[in-house]
Amino acid sequence: MTRTIPLIICLAVTSVLTIIICTFTGPAGFGFVSTAPGAADIVGGIRLPRVLAAFFVGASLAVAGAAMQSLFRNPMADPYILGTSSGGALGASFAIVFLGGVFVPVFAWIGAVGAILIVWSIAGRRGMISVETLLLTGIAVSFFFSALVSFLIAIAGQNVHQIIFWLMGGFWNVSLPDAFLAAGILVPAGALLFFMGRDLNALSLGEETAAHLGIDATRVRWTVLGGSTLLVASAVSIAGSIGFIGLVTPHIVRMLIGPDNRVVIPASILAGGILLVLSDTLARTFFSDLPVGIITAFIGAPFFIWLIHQREIAA
Amino acid sequence: MTGPLSITAENHHAGYGMQEIVKSISCSFSPGTFTGIIGPNGSGKTTLLRAFSRVIPASGILELNGREIHNYTPAELGIALGFVPQDEERPFSYTVLQVVLMARYTRTSRFSSLTPVDYARCHAALEETGIAHLENRSIRALSGGEWQRVLIARALAQETKVLLLDEPTSHLDLTHQSDVLSLMRDLAGSGSTIIGVFHDLNLAALFCDRLIMIRNGQIVADDTPSRVLTPGKIRDVYGADVITSVHPATGRTFLMPLAVTTDRIAPDNTLNVLVISGGGSGTDLLHFLSRKGFSLTAGILATTDNDYLTAKELGIPCIPILPFSQIPAHSLKKLRSLFFRADRIILSMHPVGTGNLPVLLALREADPARIIVHLPEGRDILSYDFAKGVAAAHFQDLCTAGTQCTGSFNGILKLLDTALPKILQSPE
Repeated sequence: MTRTIPLIICLAVTSVLTIIICTFTGPAGFGFVSTAPGAADIVGGIRLPRVLAAFFVGASLAVAGAAMQSLFRNPMADPYILGTSSGGALGASFAIVFLGGVFVPVFAWIGAVGAILIVWSIAGRRGMISVETLLLTGIAVSFFFSALVSFLIAIAGQNVHQIIFWLMGGFWNVSLPDAFLAAGILVPAGALLFFMGRDLNALSLGEETAAHLGIDATRVRWTVLGGSTLLVASAVSIAGSIGFIGLVTPHIVRMLIGPDNRVVIPASILAGGILLVLSDTLARTFFSDLPVGIITAFIGAPFFIWLIHQREIAA
Repeated sequence: MTGPLSITAENHHAGYGMQEIVKSISCSFSPGTFTGIIGPNGSGKTTLLRAFSRVIPASGILELNGREIHNYTPAELGIALGFVPQDEERPFSYTVLQVVLMARYTRTSRFSSLTPVDYARCHAALEETGIAHLENRSIRALSGGEWQRVLIARALAQETKVLLLDEPTSHLDLTHQSDVLSLMRDLAGSGSTIIGVFHDLNLAALFCDRLIMIRNGQIVADDTPSRVLTPGKIRDVYGADVITSVHPATGRTFLMPLAVTTDRIAPDNTLNVLVISGGGSGTDLLHFLSRKGFSLTAGILATTDNDYLTAKELGIPCIPILPFSQIPAHSLKKLRSLFFRADRIILSMHPVGTGNLPVLLALREADPARIIVHLPEGRDILSYDFAKGVAAAHFQDLCTAGTQCTGSFNGILKLLDTALPKILQSPE
């Protein structure tokens, strides 16, 4: 407990510094004051929205991941586990193939939320259901949607390139309103999850345990799922499906300060934001604007393997 | 919602999916009692307990302190009723204290932090369960027994008037078993309602005021431990043979399973063995031979004799007589008839005084070739004589009259084995 306040302050300061430094960093050079023509446009018009969007998207994914892991009592769960990413991918691919690429974010959002609604209506029909049923249903729906996405890729023709890039995730066309939209969802949903930190703690030991401790486990489950879905759907509609941030960030946070969700939730918000901003800055500065999903997975996958290895040693 | 809480269940059904595990159970639990729920595996004990705590759907009436339990909000129920599960998943490395503090979540608003009172109560619970030194340990690093005590500490910290325990001592060692159950009995003594599921019937009998025995989801017996734990009921419900007795030190009923398995097979049963013993000399021998599957009979035994109790427990017929009395003539006559029916007679050396001397005299009339004398190794015949040398003389005569003598149980077994083929080959 003694380490939590300094850690949160440290993360908050780092977040602000990261946002500032990365806003002034890019392939066009670094500088707080640039005299080059168009410098103001690059910093204010391109980099700032992109850095802010990356921060809010990373934060959204990380906090949703932290909540999902507690809910499913599985540190290996990720925020896409119930099919949000494949649903979003289906929506986006649909818009790209049939609507010539307009309203991609809107369709991605509809796809992401729609996937969860389908999972809920299948798994949640019988009132009280087990988390395992929910998880399995999510995985099944996810595969089904992935199949549809593959089908769309197969018939997409010249649009294949666009779909593939969307699937890998990136921040090429973000605008300031996108960033504000992400923030608009993150603030209330993040606060909701933060205030459910205790419930998540109890729930992470089992739904029956939570119930015995006086927590309305069913209500908490649906609230957390609802909040996480909105967070992930907004992230997916803005940046496509960026992997590993939502899975790995909560892990790093737990390693630093333990599993108490009242700390893990705010710390994940900040750490997720920082990680994605850094990854995106790397992508656009040194890798000629590769999809950021490649960078996160490229760094995230080896890290994840190392993490599994550590668990083996600890067990 | 003040005062002690009581639970009442009427026509209570519960189960999982289509499967009904608990069928039409009616019972009530009053404050200040420690009730044990017992029954064989799969009889519905845990299901009943989980139905009480509302985590599995149930039908029928279930009232907590006069109020239908389904009308409680989850938070109200969390303050009224605590539950200790058998085990719990440990996917994250919470510290012991963090887990115990979860008991206090319902008592403070989610927008404020836990108070010093909450911390004090949790520390007290850790002390009571003897795990204060593990406070900052990760729960993933605990042994099964330590983890079980954390779960108990958490339920204590919840400060509920009703506590449901699902085999609360299944992972605990001897000391901690009795520590935890003593704690529960003290809680009951101070007005709590404690209901526990037990596998260990002796622990249940030792600590509970009342036992409810269930089979196939229905109550078979509901009474004090001494009335529920009878060999008859246990054979009915568990299908096991036990002997029960009152423990001299605790005054509580205790029971011991009887070895019903035989390590030898059926044909051996055909050998009829009569064991003449006394003063507890035959207790071990009777158990030994009974396990080996012989068809046993015991001789004349006083009803206070340990051998008599053993014979009774094992269902071995004998000729009982009153203690400290002369052996009646009809008993001796009966004994003589037993001599002729027995394939082998084992004389287990025992103290002989003037009272039981007639048995020895009668034995002189039997065929010496069928008598096996068991004189434990290192013992002297004289040490069994309480009849001024008369008994010793008779013992000596028996040994030289063509009987077989041995000093060990295995020796007896060997002698019986050599007798076996002859018996089987004989036309009768």
